[in-house]
Amino acid sequence: MQESQQTLENEQPSYWTSVGVAGLIFGIITFALSLISIYAAINAEPTGSPFSATSLLGIVVCLVAAFGGMLATWHYANEYNAPLTLGRGALIGLLTGVCITIVTIILSQIWQFIDPDMVQQWIDATVANFEAMDLPEEQKQQIIDSTVESMRDQYNIFRQLWVGILMYGILNLLTGMIGAKIFGKKEADNTI
Amino acid sequence: MKQQVPLYLLILALMLFIVTTALGGGLFNQSGLWQFEWQHKIFQNLCHQNTLRSFWINGQPMAVCSRCLGIYIGFLAGWLLLPALAFIEFQAPSDVKTVLLGVILINLLDIVGNLLGFWQNTLVSRLVLGWLMGWTPVLLFSRDFFKSKLESKKDHHARITTDVGK
Repeated sequence: MQESQQTLENEQPSYWTSVGVAGLIFGIITFALSLISIYAAINAEPTGSPFSATSLLGIVVCLVAAFGGMLATWHYANEYNAPLTLGRGALIGLLTGVCITIVTIILSQIWQFIDPDMVQQWIDATVANFEAMDLPEEQKQQIIDSTVESMRDQYNIFRQLWVGILMYGILNLLTGMIGAKIFGKKEADNTI
Repeated sequence: MKQQVPLYLLILALMLFIVTTALGGGLFNQSGLWQFEWQHKIFQNLCHQNTLRSFWINGQPMAVCSRCLGIYIGFLAGWLLLPALAFIEFQAPSDVKTVLLGVILINLLDIVGNLLGFWQNTLVSRLVLGWLMGWTPVLLFSRDFFKSKLESKKDHHARITTDVGK
């Protein structure tokens, strides 16, 4: 019984193409959205408000990166016409989350060669925005120092890797499972 | 497909982590600047984290907006209720996918209507709509993790019939 299950597992087509396709597409989307929000912040006039046009973008793109798992399971189910269990859907989603993280990191590293000043300009724009805030000088300076440190940290590869894999991994695992349920074909029922 | 308890428990643990993190530093009485708390950093790329659109605990905004909080809490609540749904032989709507699509469209409509100034949504309305969006997909799994009493009876009956046949 266990052997036949194992054989069935081995006979299933590989999910790596689906993981790669969805990871690449959502990695590019996620990176592009973060790039748009950074350049919008750079080019915005300092208003002194912590939320601006970039937050508006955030409202629309909220949770976008979590849907890679669903795309991957849809691709797998459509491409191979193979049965898709919840566990397999969850695994495909998890790996898609990892793939999205890796693609995003690679693109952000490449972009640092294309526009090496972007991070510094972004930090400057954010600092200018904080300086326009109506706050006591000491508190303002404390916020600025912490912000600069946090923004530099945001472009640290290891930080991007662990946060990305953790969050994109978990959320895509869930959407992968939902995708398996929506798009997957059920296995033939062998029970009486 | 039945009795996939390890997968159920894994998702439960992950969702508990997500919801606890989403509640932000206020839950643990953290005193630093909220922007730099690890909870906020973790959700940075997943939510706009606008403090005006988030609930606050102990003087600190949560790490996600009220709609995202609703989604996570809705999913967790639904997940916790899955064993009970099987026990009471709950019949999910025949087409959960259509219901899910409807809930997503309502949320999109709410976002667009608010952006265009047709109406003003509130923290609670966003929480409720988010909660619906988190809760609905769980209905897809109402028969996947635990056997309902009805199904157990069917299995029992099938076994007896098979034995008689032999």
